[in-house]
Amino acid sequence: MAARAVAEVKPLLSSTSIEARRRVFNLYREWYREVPRAIQTYKLDITVDEGRNKVREMFLRNAGIHDLRKIDMLIIKGRMELQEINSIWKAKTHIMRYFEETKPERPKEFLSKFLDGHYN
Amino acid sequence: MAAIGLRCCIQNLSRHKRIWPNISLLSSSNKINTWQNSRLLCTASPVIDAQDQKKEVETRLTDYGRYLLDIIPKYLQGINLALGDELELLVYPEALIPTMIFLRNHTNAQFESLVDITAIDVPKREYRFELIYNLLSLRYNSRVRVKTYTDELTPIESITPIFPGANWFEREVWDMYGVYFANHPDLRRILTDYGFDGHPQRKDFPLSGYTELRYDDELKRIVSEPVEFAQEFRKFDLETPWEQFPAYREENRASLEAGEEIKEENQKK
Repeated sequence: MAARAVAEVKPLLSSTSIEARRRVFNLYREWYREVPRAIQTYKLDITVDEGRNKVREMFLRNAGIHDLRKIDMLIIKGRMELQEINSIWKAKTHIMRYFEETKPERPKEFLSKFLDGHYN
Repeated sequence: MAAIGLRCCIQNLSRHKRIWPNISLLSSSNKINTWQNSRLLCTASPVIDAQDQKKEVETRLTDYGRYLLDIIPKYLQGINLALGDELELLVYPEALIPTMIFLRNHTNAQFESLVDITAIDVPKREYRFELIYNLLSLRYNSRVRVKTYTDELTPIESITPIFPGANWFEREVWDMYGVYFANHPDLRRILTDYGFDGHPQRKDFPLSGYTELRYDDELKRIVSEPVEFAQEFRKFDLETPWEQFPAYREENRASLEAGEEIKEENQKK
């Protein structure tokens, strides 16, 4: 029998993966409901669908994380950001940062990739 | 009433002084220049040896530290005397709350003022963050530093219920280091801008940050982009201009070696 193969750790919020999953879904639901309200209050130039797709994308970006405490930390940070949007502490520029509008398109051709150098 | 209360208070304290003459931080000493005997100094000034005075403080603090180790052994990992006259208590993270309550309420401690909370980041350690709480006892004119440890994902109990002033300090530590304080009433960023990514005081946070801001004329607002440096600016001097460890100067050694070479050259001539 391997002695202490798994280290015992103090849970951040959730002690089981079911609990963590429920928290993630709750947070997703809150973000989902926040989108139309945020678009209205901040007068954003996006549609509700675009906003919700972005929320889904941001959540799916962390889909590979299975460590409970990492999930909990992301939930905590996500909730803080939601609060910042909800209380109108953020400005329009902070919200539009999620959409990375000025990000240059990555070159697709071989030569332009080569000339671009450090992007690849 | 107030005068009577004060007198009772003084009587009580004098009783404590008699019970623990060596342990109490107030233990009266002729050599230490307190405001009471400074008036005496004007008439007949005794000669005070600075070294003696330092030793006196040292023994007083170590005695007090030993006393604490004796009465709260389960909470303390050890005591430490930094720079000769700064008492540090090394506390288990789980025992932070009872230790703080003890230090605030115990008659011989009365560290009722929380001066500061900060942290240091040592990524090599198993628990990379060291949390530092500076306390001041106005009653005994004495300071103590409580140290504990944690890592990025282990929550540490907030001491806001004990010291309400800890609220913003803990928010600052959360913002700068990403240490999560459990049961904090209002944990959120305090120094960084909304939308800021990362915790700037961590050792693995780059000096330049991850993003840079600029005004975009087309969008008519500030945009944030990943930091990118032009090739001609790629050579950086990232060392701090301040001297951090004056005792270990690199230049000294270098200059000595250079001097020796000069001597040798002179001998050759």
